[in-house]
Amino acid sequence: MGTVMRFEVGMEVPPVSKTLSQEHLNLFEASGAHQGPSIFTDPETAQKTLGMGRTVASGRMTLSFAVEALRRFFGGRIYDHTGVADLRFIRPTRAGDTVTVRGKVSGVTPEANGSRIAVELTVQNQNGETTAVGGGSAIVPAGFLPSAE
Amino acid sequence: MDRNVESQVPERKTLDYERLEIGEPLPSYEYLLTQEMLEQYRQGVQDPDARFPTIAVKADIGAYHRKYEDAGSVNARCAYHCYNPPVAGKKIRVTAWIADKYVRREKPYIVTEAVSVDEDGRLIDRVITHELKRPREVGKKWGR
Repeated sequence: MGTVMRFEVGMEVPPVSKTLSQEHLNLFEASGAHQGPSIFTDPETAQKTLGMGRTVASGRMTLSFAVEALRRFFGGRIYDHTGVADLRFIRPTRAGDTVTVRGKVSGVTPEANGSRIAVELTVQNQNGETTAVGGGSAIVPAGFLPSAE
Repeated sequence: MDRNVESQVPERKTLDYERLEIGEPLPSYEYLLTQEMLEQYRQGVQDPDARFPTIAVKADIGAYHRKYEDAGSVNARCAYHCYNPPVAGKKIRVTAWIADKYVRREKPYIVTEAVSVDEDGRLIDRVITHELKRPREVGKKWGR
């Protein structure tokens, strides 16, 4: 038997941490059918395009980590159908970095048959430097009983 | 079906930022979402339960690069809306457009937007990306 999920302002989203290798960057790009050299997979291209001698991780990798954190927080039955994640990228993430997504509920707004739960998100690297900020949300149906996932 | 979207790019033109129109449609395209893509995505993001490999497809940027070539760009902001997790083995159709453009701190940005729908008509996702069209700014600030 499940329990009714209650979301209150200030509630913390359990953090999600990832340590990235170049292989992870390569797999991410390959999964999207991006097969040529890029700023994400090839230091020479990164130098030519960005003026940086090292590859960088796609912002969409960080976005994927935010999506994971929110999916785990809300549950897939809610987040996979009503979820949003919106990040501004303010510092590059590179292979070898460990990034952590943290979040906190910032608002609960009634909607038809439920509530939109807004979350503030911050992403930091292993040095405590902020790499991305933004938010996310999902619409939680009134009286929703989560499954045991 | 060739899953390499870049290999299917038709003749492109060089971006003229001033002439780019807000609302301008970008070429629609289809691709097959394979089980391999899903598995590679899950390994790349280290999440065995990840359900939206379409994030890595970069659907809006893929459509943009079917029409334009430029000196590169950097993702400054990205919003992702989940509607229904895609199913491996289904074709996905991408519809995209130029949602906005703006100059901030004398740097040009382009906002692209795309919606993905599978072959059964299921709405999968919506992605909105703000790209800085002067990528060497990143090296100036963070290069080492």
